[in-house]
Amino acid sequence: MSLLAFHDVHALYGQARILNGVTFEVGAGERVALVGRNGVGKTTVVNTLCGGTRVAQGRIELRGRPTKDLRGYSAAQNGIAIVLQGRGILPNLTVEENLLLGGATARRGPWTLAKIQELFPILSERRSNPGWALSGGQQQMLAIGRALMANPDLLILDEPSEGLAPVIVDDLAALLVQLGTDGMGILLIEQNISLIHRVAERFYVLSKGSVAESGSLHNVSRDELQGHIAI
Amino acid sequence: MLIQLLNGVVYGGLLYLLSVGLVLIFGLRQVVNFAHGALFMIGAYIGYSVAAAGSWWGGLVVAVVAMAIAGCVLDATLFRALRKQDHIVTVLVTFGLLLILETLVTVIWGKAYLRYPMPDLLSGTVDIAGSPFPVYRLFVIVVSIVVALSLASWLRFTRIGLYVRAASTDARVTSIQGINVDRLSLIVVGLGTALAGLSGVVAGPLLSLSPTMGNYILIDSFIVVVIGGMGSFGGAFVAALLIGQIHNFGAIYLPWAGTMLPLLLMVGVLIWRPTGLSGART
Ligand SMILES: Nc1ncnc2c1ncn2[C@@H]1O[C@H](COP(=O)(O)OP(=O)(O)O)[C@@H](O)[C@H]1O
Ligand SMILES: [Mg+2]
Repeated sequence: MSLLAFHDVHALYGQARILNGVTFEVGAGERVALVGRNGVGKTTVVNTLCGGTRVAQGRIELRGRPTKDLRGYSAAQNGIAIVLQGRGILPNLTVEENLLLGGATARRGPWTLAKIQELFPILSERRSNPGWALSGGQQQMLAIGRALMANPDLLILDEPSEGLAPVIVDDLAALLVQLGTDGMGILLIEQNISLIHRVAERFYVLSKGSVAESGSLHNVSRDELQGHIAI
Repeated sequence: MLIQLLNGVVYGGLLYLLSVGLVLIFGLRQVVNFAHGALFMIGAYIGYSVAAAGSWWGGLVVAVVAMAIAGCVLDATLFRALRKQDHIVTVLVTFGLLLILETLVTVIWGKAYLRYPMPDLLSGTVDIAGSPFPVYRLFVIVVSIVVALSLASWLRFTRIGLYVRAASTDARVTSIQGINVDRLSLIVVGLGTALAGLSGVVAGPLLSLSPTMGNYILIDSFIVVVIGGMGSFGGAFVAALLIGQIHNFGAIYLPWAGTMLPLLLMVGVLIWRPTGLSGART
């Protein structure tokens, strides 16, 4: 089953047309990468899913159902959790409150507060600290933990490796592979070729607001992928 | 001295009831609600009319409920539409609303000053440290403290309270967690305007009723919100008590500076600590 699909989506901020016919799809349990250079419109895809742009043309489907009038909460209420670019930690709330917020949709599943604190012990140690007090790496754990609290069928991550030390990116890759193996769909928006290769099975290259290339990552070397992105 | 201190707490309590509503509304809608003083005033007039018809406490309830409904309607129509507008647009629109509401009240109740009665239960005085102190003023203090405590525990310990604090910090991130922020602000704006109605009724017997009775206290409330740190509930509480005292002691010892002192304090805070006393971090 398709969890999320864009069909020829054109989207605008005010008068500025950023997406010019974007088409892609993520099925249940699939690990898909959406790649592209800075400014090509990757985050705009996420914003469009959250109702942050005006869709002038095309169709967005959640769980196979065409969805008009997308709102910020639409994705979450359809089992899609998003780790935003820049993490979107609420600075004044405590670590634990940030996590509880992620469970707002109260979907059942394996992930509970205790499970997430077991996965990331630091989030348990620092549960009463405000969000702003965490380091970048800890904020990324919190953002992922918060997304898992929703027990999503699909996890979208917008440039999660940004600003992380290489060893932490390794941990991130291992975690995402594990989540995928356990059946969670993953849409990884990234520029880090090594992370993309370790996590995803398929890829779409976004260029100037539309999909320029797509395919299976098994048949594409790192250099070829790098070449696609550089277009 | 103690009596003077208590008088300052009375005014501070009223300021708190108004300014915490402003904080709630600003937090969810980024709307600086200039009509808040008009809702305070209309709450007082509605309470007055019901009280004149025989039931002071009925007036309190009716005014609070009416202003809660008015707030929900305002949120669903004006504030939701203003969400993506510039601050200056929202200021102009809510200021226009203030003028409309003032005119409306003038048409219904007239311009003349009206005397709001006091409930029998709360008339009379008690002896505090050898001086008489009106029971009604104690009642105002108790109402403010009860509201402050209930609101603080609601925000701190309930799930909805958590969502409200989250949405006040970042509505977009909050909605992406699956929370319908529009529905949330309906509750929150309704609560804010209900508190304006409540403070209008409670203030009624202390002030006299006129269509412009809300204007002066609204300015002090804005000062409270700025000093407390835009968007801080605890900051509003502390700042309201502070301004209450300054207002009161200023009127006694520095009458010529009277209304200027809160403004000067605000300018001082803005220079010394632009994010307000609570110092919300960005
Ligand atoms: N809120 C906005 N309003 C107008 N233009 C925007 C906005 N956000 C991003 N853009 C523009 O849209 C383009 C795509 O941005 P974005 O989707 O953030 O790219 P990416 O995530 O791929 O780096 C950029 O040219 C950027 O300047
Ligand atoms: Mg981006």
